[in-house]
Amino acid sequence: MIADKTSGYRKNFLLIITFIVLISVLFILSLFLAFNFSNKYIENEFSSAKVDVLEKTIGPYNDFFQNKIPEVSYYNGFLDSATAAKFTDTVLLKYPFVSKVIFYDSEVKNEPVRDGINASHFSFGPKAIYQFGSLVPLDSVKLFSYDNTRSFSVGDDFNAIGFKLVSFVESLDTAKAPSQDELFSNFSAIRSNRITYLNIPRREDLKVYKEMMRRKLASSPVYQQDLLTFQLDPYKIRIVNSRPLLYQRIRIEPLTYDPIDASDLYMATEITLPGPFSDYKLYFQSSRSFIKKEVFSYFLPIALILLLVYAVLMLVAMLIYRNLNINSKMFKLQYDFITNFSHEFKTPVSVIKIAGNNIRSASSLSEREQKHYGKILDEEADKLNGLMNKLLAFTQIENKSISLNQEEVSMRDFIESTIESHTLKYSDFEMTYEVSGFDKFITDPVLLGSLFDNLAENAYKYSNPGNKKLHISARLIRGRIVLRFTDKGIGIAAQDLEHIFKKFFRIQNQYNQQGSVGLGLAFCKELVNFMGGEIRVKSKINRGTEFIIVLPYINT
Amino acid sequence: MRVLKNLFLLFVLSLLFACKPGVKTGEIAVNDFFKSQDRAQYKVSPDGKTLSYLKLQDNLQNLFTEDIATGKVTQLSFLKSRGVRFYLWVSKDELIFYRDQPLQTGAEMYIVNKNEGAPRKLSADPKAKIRVLEDQLIDNKFLLVASNKRDSTVFDVYKLNIRDGSLSLAARNPGNIADWITDAEGRLKLAIASDGVNETLLFRDNESQAFRPVIKSSFKNTLVPIGFAGKDGRTVYAISNINRDKNALIELDMVTGKEQKVLFYSDSLNVVEGQYSRAKAQVEYVVVETWKKQKRYLNERAKAFYGKLDELLPKTEIKIMARDKNENVFVLRTFTDRNPGSYYLYISGQQKLKKLADINSSIHEAEMCEMKPVSFTSRDGLTVNGYLTLPKGGKKEKLPVVVLPHNGPRSRNGWGYDAEVQFLANRGYAVFQINYRGSDGYGKQFMTAGFKQWGKKIREDVIDGVNWLIVQNIADRKRIAIYGTGFGGFIALNCMSENPGLFVAAASNSGVVNLFSYLKSIPPFWKTSLQMYYEIVGNPLTDVDYMRSVSPVFHSDRFKKPLFIAQNAKDPRVNPGETIQFVKELKKRNIPVTYLEKDEGSYQEKKEESRKRFYAALEAFLKENLKK
Repeated sequence: MIADKTSGYRKNFLLIITFIVLISVLFILSLFLAFNFSNKYIENEFSSAKVDVLEKTIGPYNDFFQNKIPEVSYYNGFLDSATAAKFTDTVLLKYPFVSKVIFYDSEVKNEPVRDGINASHFSFGPKAIYQFGSLVPLDSVKLFSYDNTRSFSVGDDFNAIGFKLVSFVESLDTAKAPSQDELFSNFSAIRSNRITYLNIPRREDLKVYKEMMRRKLASSPVYQQDLLTFQLDPYKIRIVNSRPLLYQRIRIEPLTYDPIDASDLYMATEITLPGPFSDYKLYFQSSRSFIKKEVFSYFLPIALILLLVYAVLMLVAMLIYRNLNINSKMFKLQYDFITNFSHEFKTPVSVIKIAGNNIRSASSLSEREQKHYGKILDEEADKLNGLMNKLLAFTQIENKSISLNQEEVSMRDFIESTIESHTLKYSDFEMTYEVSGFDKFITDPVLLGSLFDNLAENAYKYSNPGNKKLHISARLIRGRIVLRFTDKGIGIAAQDLEHIFKKFFRIQNQYNQQGSVGLGLAFCKELVNFMGGEIRVKSKINRGTEFIIVLPYINT
Repeated sequence: MRVLKNLFLLFVLSLLFACKPGVKTGEIAVNDFFKSQDRAQYKVSPDGKTLSYLKLQDNLQNLFTEDIATGKVTQLSFLKSRGVRFYLWVSKDELIFYRDQPLQTGAEMYIVNKNEGAPRKLSADPKAKIRVLEDQLIDNKFLLVASNKRDSTVFDVYKLNIRDGSLSLAARNPGNIADWITDAEGRLKLAIASDGVNETLLFRDNESQAFRPVIKSSFKNTLVPIGFAGKDGRTVYAISNINRDKNALIELDMVTGKEQKVLFYSDSLNVVEGQYSRAKAQVEYVVVETWKKQKRYLNERAKAFYGKLDELLPKTEIKIMARDKNENVFVLRTFTDRNPGSYYLYISGQQKLKKLADINSSIHEAEMCEMKPVSFTSRDGLTVNGYLTLPKGGKKEKLPVVVLPHNGPRSRNGWGYDAEVQFLANRGYAVFQINYRGSDGYGKQFMTAGFKQWGKKIREDVIDGVNWLIVQNIADRKRIAIYGTGFGGFIALNCMSENPGLFVAAASNSGVVNLFSYLKSIPPFWKTSLQMYYEIVGNPLTDVDYMRSVSPVFHSDRFKKPLFIAQNAKDPRVNPGETIQFVKELKKRNIPVTYLEKDEGSYQEKKEESRKRFYAALEAFLKENLKK
């Protein structure tokens, strides 16, 4: 049975070890994988997050292109040099990448123009051309007018959009409304570093334009058109590095830029800019060590989570081990108890058996023998009964299945009757007592009796012959009853003092070879607790032990 | 048992149908408000024997006549697409009608004899508009019309031969004539010339002479000739406010250009109409408008004659819609603020009144709400008038409000049945209409005070009005929305962008979003009025900053609250592309915008279905924002 038990526990322990080893391996493996993953992820991020940077960087341009440029149309051709200057000022201020704006104050009419485009009767030409920009000197704002035609050259942005306008009007289907996108693409021209935009006329005007192309209208109408060319400087685009930990440096470079000294120390990637900036690209560069930092900053939280999981698993394993340990100790204690108890029962039972045998085998019993055996049987039966009661009472108290009796007890009478019964049993037991401060109080006399009996029993048992003395003192101190049981016995070793109130605990020595189950003091403690008090012990080896019991003082 | 079960099932089913969602009690269906008239444009033939009207058939109007004596009905037009838009009698048997045309295209004109039927096309020039100047036939075959056939920007006078449809020039427009007026015999004797800012009244004694300028006045003045006074052929009745703040009815000597007589003038009353009797060549009464229109009789005979009508039709407004040449047979229309009214036939000789048709039979007077005149003082001390229509029943304070600025420029809200107002009031909103400065009918000063104040003082008037309504404890300051059409939409958007704290939502129907485009959209044949619009709205050459600062299209960044924007993408009066661009920008800025593209019409759709769609969307939008 012992072998089974120990081998059983050893197997569990092995399991735990296996478990710990396995999860440790798993932990290290996952750390390794996580690190590899972080590395790959950051490398991927390096080449994919550039879209994000591009979007943020190009945001103001998109706003300019989609919202600001169409605003030219809102003026419906009513812009002149002063208002155009105001308009471009807001543009130049808000969009730093616009370096210069050229404004063609133009007309569409039936009369041929000298500068501009003539397509049959449809003519489109500038009245005046102005340029605006922070670097434009004041005296050269006006580039062209009817009287001064020097700066107007064919191949200009004006003609580019002029041809577009003519071909659009020519192929216009006046029956249906052209879509917004169709209009926008026909009234704007996007070339490298410049956007040209012509205000979109109303549908009614376009119909007249078409008519003008076919024939000369009687009223010879003149329509105002505003053409604006925005010159853009890609280097003035404000780069928004939305991933400063990923990209060390972002620059705008020509599309052909390809440095030869790109060593292994650096990682680089690029993305082409849209629209008029398509000859340029965003060039991203980071050193390897810079990237490594980002890898670690990505890996660290993963590692921490893994560590946490690992720690929790370890804790669980430890707790399981501890529980197993406690269970094994409990198992051992209970086993001891059964051994002790069966031993305890064995003695009276064998005595009864011998006595029974003797009575049966004897042909006749003398009166003395009869009395002798009778006494033996009676005593041993009492012993068994006492054992049974003790066990029962103990389990009852432990389970709190009995209730307290409240009776008035006189301390003096109670101690005296205890002393009397013990000195009757053990003639060499010297017992003294003192009571001071009170006499009558309310308690459960049966439980109190058990307490006194147990402690007196112990004092007798653990004292050397000739020195079996017990002094009981009962005092009322600060409203509580303090009972002291002081003997001159063998004492208790300091290391055992904290265990003596535990169930099934016995100090191994010659005094308790028989008749002890290690329940006495545990029982006392349960009793005192049950009565609402507390029990303490003081002891010195070979000098004696003192049990101190404090009980609540309840008086009538 | 089974029978019981079935009965129970039936009961449950009936409950289900009873609780069917949709029209709540007291809530009148959208369509009932905006129903097309079954019968419209009642007229009477010159001999007073035949009634005529347009009847709605499959959403199309066709022309019908009815013999007054026998009650015999004849259908004259059988159009299957594009119905009759307008018609008039030209002789005792013949009528001319116009077919529906897309906006800003020419006129399609037909003539029909009521006894013969079979309409004949007179003109179908897709470019030229034709307007009848004088409905009397000359030599039994010529009709005087004005047309921009020669030049789309000017109207010349032609003689239209109704027998063969040919046009011959009667008077060439030098370019500045805005209107032509004939005398009782149909002779072209008066013309109004305009250079955009100033109007000149021209006169000639007979048709062989050239027109001679008589009176010149600024467009800020009103000078509207009504008809010739008496038989001398040189005195004209006119509504004028030259040298006055309010309109008066005067007699004008067209030879000297002098004001001869003031027939009616009051410091507080504005003359808006003169009821001119052609047969007697005199004005019988004037209509003055304060918060509502009222008649002021000019002679005892007229008082007796029209007083009789007031007796026959008490507690309602009466308007003469048509009459015969002898002024014996009349078509009348009645209305109140709670009743769109009905058409009546009145034969004065017999003093007989006959009801012809209801304008909208779905509207019951008892369910409609009262329209009350209100006035408040603006921050600069001007008295601004308006109307307040409170929903029926319930409490009369802390109500959700829809502010309804009227369209413009130069118009006003008047007292009477307004389907839009009643619809909104029926939905539980207090409807607040404001005749902001620049509105017509409150004198010259009040009107000119609104010039170039769009988005500025005009907006402030609306804001002051709303604040006044809050102080009166009528408006719940957390539930005020603003909705307008055309310039009303412009004001709504303006108020929303400049005073976002005051309104929870704004709705614009075919709203002007850009003053530049508005000026561009003035059609070429109104070119003469362009300078006037520059004065009223703003000059795109000199007032660029002002126009930019108040045009919503430039300021999509100032909007924060829900918007409802509706327009017809083919509407020539606005630039639809701009509105779409505007909506796109608002959406990019995450402003909740409900954009409704109307499939036809400009301000209000012609088709009942389209109207229903628009108002249902508007109702849902207001409900979402005002009934939280």
